[in-house]
Amino acid sequence: MEPILSSDLLRGHTDTIVLAMLMNADRYVLEIYNRILARTGEQYELKVETLYSSCKRLEKGGYITSYWGDETQGARRKYYHITNKGRELYRQNMLNWEFTLKILNELLRED
Amino acid sequence: MDTREYIDSLFSDYQETAALVDFKEELKSFLDERIKALVKSGMDEKKAFAKATNELGDMTAVADEISRRKKQEILAEMYLKTGHYLPTWRIALYILCGAVLGFGIIATVLSGFFSNDITKPLGTLLVFGIVPVLGFLFLGLTQETAMYEAMSWKRALLYVIAAGVFLFGVFMFIITYFKANAGLPYAIATLIPFVLPSLAFGAFLILTEKDRRKPWVIKQHEERRKRSHERFGDPAQEKRFSLFSGALWIAAIAAFVLLTILFGLKFSWLAIVAALVGQLLIQAMFTKAK
Repeated sequence: MEPILSSDLLRGHTDTIVLAMLMNADRYVLEIYNRILARTGEQYELKVETLYSSCKRLEKGGYITSYWGDETQGARRKYYHITNKGRELYRQNMLNWEFTLKILNELLRED
Repeated sequence: MDTREYIDSLFSDYQETAALVDFKEELKSFLDERIKALVKSGMDEKKAFAKATNELGDMTAVADEISRRKKQEILAEMYLKTGHYLPTWRIALYILCGAVLGFGIIATVLSGFFSNDITKPLGTLLVFGIVPVLGFLFLGLTQETAMYEAMSWKRALLYVIAAGVFLFGVFMFIITYFKANAGLPYAIATLIPFVLPSLAFGAFLILTEKDRRKPWVIKQHEERRKRSHERFGDPAQEKRFSLFSGALWIAAIAAFVLLTILFGLKFSWLAIVAALVGQLLIQAMFTKAK
């Protein structure tokens, strides 16, 4: 039997995934998109809409900020930068996830 | 279709806010680069475009986050829903008021023809004119619309009383003046018990009026203010702009009248043209450079 990636489950964590990608560097959306595709072995059918929705939501909430890069050649890119509030949210979400995973494993175990 | 056209077609239903323009720019750079990467990996241009646009998903969800609601939705809210606020009994009452008013006007005119006495038509109008007008006032004030909440019927009744007393006072003034032949002083004296208190009461009611705009109207109003704020920089600058414009137009109209008297219309219209040019210059001076 081949395992299948649950896209729904992943989609529920888009905000945290975006925050994780921004923890160590400012990135533009295509970069985040490509990294997600690469890391999931192109298994995850991530819609660009999901990613942008997440970015705009996080920006509105003050978790990330954005700025236009100053590329001298080629198209301009918009970069996203994580704020302290965003780092805080990332850490909280990670705690929540680890805790939830523990409980979920407990629940999914054969009884 | 190039990416620019494609993106424009995606968001054609949305208001072109600054935020949306910015987002479209961002999305264009995303798509262009994505297509370029796909072409580089060996895909042909057409297929790459199809794949990249297919990967987007439902972008309207993002636009909803960014732009105001769709234009159509706002229009629908403003106009299409008015039917919802007009139950049958209200429609019947509106028509009844209209019919009574029409009857009152016809009866007044007729009695004016057949009698030399001014009080007869006035008396007819007093009954069949004032009652439907007050009816309209009451219905109008208690009418909920797409933009305004309805007034409570108790408060509307106070308005009706004030208006009724006021109109009655006006009739009294006219009747006293003509019928009693008492002359102007007596007619003016009738203003004291009716017109004056009802005006005072009406003013009190209007000044203590609540803001009855619906939340979405207030929101729109605030957004409009924010946009004008963005244009002018700060409120003081905006105030100065309106002061300058006001002064300009007062001067222009004064010049127009003066020139018309002195030289006729042939030349005076130039004052208005000059004012229009001045207005544009003032606007250019006060709005922020982009």
